[in-house]
Amino acid sequence: MNSILEIENLCKYYGKSDNQTKALDGITFNVMQGEFLGIMGSSGSGKSTLLNCIATVIGPSSGKIIMRGKEVQSLKGTQLADYRGKQIGYLFQNFELLDNLTGHENILLPLSLHNVPKSESNKRIMELASYLEITDVLDKFPSQMSGGQKQRVAAARAVILNPSIILADEPTGALDSKNAKSLMEKLLGLNQEHYATILMVTHDSNAASYCKRILFIQDGVIFHELRRNIPEESQQAFYERILKVMAQLGGGTANVL
Amino acid sequence: MFFDLVSRNSKRSRKENGLFFASLLISIVAFYNILSLSKQDVMIFLTKLESDAVNKLLTMIPLFYGMTLFILFFLIYFASKFQLERRRHEFGVYLMMGMRRSKLFFMLLAEDFRSSMLALLMGLPIAILLSELTSLLTARLVGLGIIGHQISISFQAILWTAVGFYLIKLIAFLILSGKIARQEIGSLLVETPEGTKKALPSIVYALALSVGVIFLVAAYIMAIKGLAWDGVGKMGLTLILGFTGTLLVFFGFRSIMGFLAKHSGSNKKLQAFTFRQLQENIIRRSTTLAISSLLILAGLCCFGAGVAIAQFYGGSQQHVLDYTFDGDSQDITIVKETLASHGLDSLFSELFEMRVGYIRSAEDRNNAFQMNSVMEYLAQLPESDDRNVLLNNLGYQTYPHLISQSSYNRLLSIAGKNTIELAENEAAVYMDTEFISSTKLEMLNRILSANPKVQISGENYQLTGTVQSTSLVTDRSITLSFALIVPDAEFERFTENDYDIYLNAVLDPEQIAGKSLLNAISDTNQKLDAAGLIYESYLQNMGRQLFYVVAASYITIYLAIIFLIIANTIIGVQFLTWQQKTSRRYKTLVRLGAPYETLCYSAGKQIKWYFGIPTVVAAISSVFGVRALFSGLLSSRTKSNLSTMMMISAVMMLLLCVVEYIYMVAVKKSSNRYILTLMVPEREE
Repeated sequence: MNSILEIENLCKYYGKSDNQTKALDGITFNVMQGEFLGIMGSSGSGKSTLLNCIATVIGPSSGKIIMRGKEVQSLKGTQLADYRGKQIGYLFQNFELLDNLTGHENILLPLSLHNVPKSESNKRIMELASYLEITDVLDKFPSQMSGGQKQRVAAARAVILNPSIILADEPTGALDSKNAKSLMEKLLGLNQEHYATILMVTHDSNAASYCKRILFIQDGVIFHELRRNIPEESQQAFYERILKVMAQLGGGTANVL
Repeated sequence: MFFDLVSRNSKRSRKENGLFFASLLISIVAFYNILSLSKQDVMIFLTKLESDAVNKLLTMIPLFYGMTLFILFFLIYFASKFQLERRRHEFGVYLMMGMRRSKLFFMLLAEDFRSSMLALLMGLPIAILLSELTSLLTARLVGLGIIGHQISISFQAILWTAVGFYLIKLIAFLILSGKIARQEIGSLLVETPEGTKKALPSIVYALALSVGVIFLVAAYIMAIKGLAWDGVGKMGLTLILGFTGTLLVFFGFRSIMGFLAKHSGSNKKLQAFTFRQLQENIIRRSTTLAISSLLILAGLCCFGAGVAIAQFYGGSQQHVLDYTFDGDSQDITIVKETLASHGLDSLFSELFEMRVGYIRSAEDRNNAFQMNSVMEYLAQLPESDDRNVLLNNLGYQTYPHLISQSSYNRLLSIAGKNTIELAENEAAVYMDTEFISSTKLEMLNRILSANPKVQISGENYQLTGTVQSTSLVTDRSITLSFALIVPDAEFERFTENDYDIYLNAVLDPEQIAGKSLLNAISDTNQKLDAAGLIYESYLQNMGRQLFYVVAASYITIYLAIIFLIIANTIIGVQFLTWQQKTSRRYKTLVRLGAPYETLCYSAGKQIKWYFGIPTVVAAISSVFGVRALFSGLLSSRTKSNLSTMMMISAVMMLLLCVVEYIYMVAVKKSSNRYILTLMVPEREE
């Protein structure tokens, strides 16, 4: 299997020496083609910083992010815009749909940003919409959709340009359990049937149990790694293993007064 | 600590909303300029000559001041409203932390006072400079560049500017802060709901649009046909149709925007986003936009009327004569003797008689002159308004004035024009420019070229040459609508030696050398006054014209600028506020990989449309509005002068383009700066 994304010794420090916060303190891992990788950690552990670095929303202090063999920090101008638009698809916790655009127009946004002709994607939109069960809401505005529909429209927008990797930032954070489950099933389907590579940040153990591999981050470093034994291990069993690790996070019972 | 916060807040407000601050400066400049009108060079000069009329105008200044105060109040109110709305959350936080409402109120009052003070400190020097500049410029434009300019700061104007400015700011502030203070902390802390207004069925909007267009067209037709001037009722109907038409067009405009957003052909550079943003903006603010458009229209109409009036009264009459001594009130031979005895005749390089009289030899005064052939020629011309007016006017010319050829030729040679040659039994036509437009002039000249036969006192004559129109005397209010120039012998015979003499004079160039024309004439006036002579000077006459020009054009153009500025500031501030309210969308786009340039491009396009729509509607309406004003206010000369009107319209459009361009650039810059701040991510949990 090829690795799509390589993170080498990534550091992100905030503040000056005396008062420095180490959001990321030397993180190294690879994401393989077609992988569904979860990143877990408590609030403030550096998960979002990691995702933002990969999305080039913020620049790392040191270390390398290599996407398909190209170092991301060296990208400039149109290359950078292309990277943001075509190499990565971003799924936000709060959906981040533009509330004055219809579902259809929202999904088309990445195309419009990267000057891809509309006609090419019409077929793909219809396929995606029927897979994600949002065909009915394509002409509606976000205010007329349910939370689950909004997030599935956002998912369609994230994958419309066939990105190399989907970065999902707490995608179930704003959903109820039923919608969360349905979204995770759709994401799993995208991963298994459409071979989409997904990197998901979450602290929802339930959502994480859909992943093949989970990295646990604490205080800016990788603290633990879990792999699901497919096909022997059931999702339920994997979920229980995740819970155990989560209990250990933050020093486990040692930190409990 | 408290004052530290006040100073920091007011500094931030200025930085964040430069456009608002600029509008404050503009109001100050506007106040000062109208209040210091009496100190303008032209006005000072006019007071000497036409003190009554000037004083009448100056007593109207408080009225204009009050009106400006009233209009600018709305500008300040709107701009402050946007400004305070943006800080709701901040106020909520202050209150949460235990700041008392009274303290918050005083803090805002102090901030307001501080920014007003700064605006005054910056605005007054600009206002004074601009007022001096206008003074110099108008003096130069009307040919007074000659006066020694004195810097004249009006302290009274400064005082009233400050008073007026603080007054409207305070009233606006009290109303707005009262509104905010009454709200719950919770509702302050929550971002104001975007208020997705309930959408009516789209047929309603399409209907509103078409009814609006019908109303507007009806108003245009009434305006252009002159029906609007028939009576108060019809004028009211035209205005109401125009007003509601504009409102309805803007209300219904969303259907066009929706269509554009849905069917935007290419999918380039966020087209759908751009049009949706615009659509939403127009939906939310259709009334304000309509009002802004009407303000621009009012500005354009004022400007058009002002320029037209200036053009009309300013005229393009050549300056030939400096003095005329009237023969009615004094004997011209005595005048000549007095001039000679006082040694005043040496002041003039030219001194000649202009002789004008009636056809007294005719027995029937109602038929002293007949020009049937001219009327026949006219009647054969294709039907037109101009022809009918000429037919009507010339029909009354049965007892015209006569002008002696020699005195008129003397005038022509002084003016540097070719003299006219008249053979026996030939006469030339004289008509003052005030009574004949260029198209009518052309019509008459064509007829004259055929040398039509006429009868003067029963004798056969033929008309020759072209229509003459060089002013006979200095006084521009003495004009002849129709006269005949005849050889001297015939002149004496027809008038039976009973005619009026006007003694015209031109100042010796040596008298003017080294000083301004104004000073030369003023000096000469003193000498003539001392000799007890009655006279009309070029200056008095110019003063009279100037007064009309200055009074009418200064005020209309002033109002035009105020209207334009207010409308544009409202549009601009509204756009920027809306952009800030929807900042989240821009942030999302950034995260989706939108480069800075694309966002700026989309915002720029939104700005173009947002300014463009009300401006274009106003421009279209103004074509009709200005024409209606012309047909209602001006005499036939300007009314039928199509090319002048086109010129005025072109100047207006050019001015409008320049103003809009400046505003768009300013708003774009401000918007780009804001987008740049959105490019940096912030931590959101």
